[in-house]
Amino acid sequence: MSEKNRKENNMNEKKFDELKEEYEKVAIPEELDQVVRKAIQSGKKSRKNRQWLHRVSAVAAAIVIFVGGINISPTMASVLAEVPGMKNLVQVLTFRDYQFDDGLHQANIEVPAITGLEESGLGDALNQKYLEENQALYEQFMIDVKEMEALGEGHLGVDSGYMIKTDNERLLSIGRYVVEMVGSSSTVIKYDTIDKVEQVLITLPSLFKDDQYVAVISDYIVDQMNQAMDKDPNMIYWVEREGQEEVLYFEPFRQISPEQSFFINPDYKLVISFDKYEVGPGVMGVQEFVIPTEVIADLLVSNEYIKP
Amino acid sequence: MLHKKSARELEDYLLANQEYIYRLAYSYVKNPEDALDLVQESIIKAISSAELLKDPQGMKSWVYRIVVNTALDFLRKQKRTVVVDQETLNSYTESVAGVDDYSDLDLAKAIEELTPTDRTRVVLRYYEDLKIEEVAFILKENVNTTKSRLYGTLKKLRLQMEEPIDVQSLQEV
Repeated sequence: MSEKNRKENNMNEKKFDELKEEYEKVAIPEELDQVVRKAIQSGKKSRKNRQWLHRVSAVAAAIVIFVGGINISPTMASVLAEVPGMKNLVQVLTFRDYQFDDGLHQANIEVPAITGLEESGLGDALNQKYLEENQALYEQFMIDVKEMEALGEGHLGVDSGYMIKTDNERLLSIGRYVVEMVGSSSTVIKYDTIDKVEQVLITLPSLFKDDQYVAVISDYIVDQMNQAMDKDPNMIYWVEREGQEEVLYFEPFRQISPEQSFFINPDYKLVISFDKYEVGPGVMGVQEFVIPTEVIADLLVSNEYIKP
Repeated sequence: MLHKKSARELEDYLLANQEYIYRLAYSYVKNPEDALDLVQESIIKAISSAELLKDPQGMKSWVYRIVVNTALDFLRKQKRTVVVDQETLNSYTESVAGVDDYSDLDLAKAIEELTPTDRTRVVLRYYEDLKIEEVAFILKENVNTTKSRLYGTLKKLRLQMEEPIDVQSLQEV
């Protein structure tokens, strides 16, 4: 604690000083030390698990090549097709893993690869996209690092990876996130939803008969945001509100983009996703809104992917 | 990948400063059980993402940031209620009976009634003696936002008290 702060407190914030004493008087439970030590051990374990996963990704890359080999060798493919679970197996694996750390700048980029969609070429197209985007991310990171080094100081972190939102007999929804940390952090998530059976990529417009969905979904979300804010004063969305006192510092959210980020959850419900800072301040983080099927029922092309 | 040395430093820091971490966590939940849970969760997060800690100099702010955000998340998940534990209650009653310090109780109560984020700024700035820049970093906000929000909070608190606190001091920060 700085001497200057202390002095200021003594002069001006005597009241706070008394409360501060109370704050410091809180009894420390006996088990605290034990809890702390245990937590450190669990933290290390989960860190080790992640390191282990990174090592596994090398193995995963080998598997990708192996699966690629199935198409080349018909004999091998037919042999494998007889092995239960190897036929039509759509899987997501870590294909490549970029790591960089010089103490000030860290990058951890995991590139996913989808296997089992070779037939239609969709798998290759997605994998190519994933690889290219991540390579670009890594290259940009290296440029930023050079720039920051030239300027003297600063920290930079990039963490990119993927998560599987849905993986059932019909659908695969995979989300790829990029977290950039420069002082504060920003998060961007992109989703791909795939019909595993038909081997097609599902886009948001393709779910609907026409573009009315943009307005209907937007109205529903704005309504949800307003309700959430009415219920909990800690919730903040950047939407226009009646009788609003506080000035909005950002363009308020009015409509989703026709190509808004989305995925389909395991219950076959449409989920609209907003990146950090897209519809609210950073504390709100990434926001997801599950759209009840009855809201969009009349607009859907079919109930093939989105079910009541 | 991970720097062994900084990971080791982080562990030492957590062990040596566990009481500060506990107090900070306690200030949100006002009971030892939840406070210990928060400590546990925060430390697991800190250790398992130690590689994201870039600057060992900023270790304190970084750890506080994890604790504060874990606590805010916890409160957000819970129904918002004003919790005052028995001990704090006793200490109020004692001081009221003893030193005749009503305004203290009022201020304490007023602080409890702030939103968790507003209260966080007060706790970090005045109880933990952190700099405005550090408070801003912990709450992931812009320094000017922290400054203006804290200013607003102090004004609000002053309205609720007989003896005003000098808002002037803030502007000198």
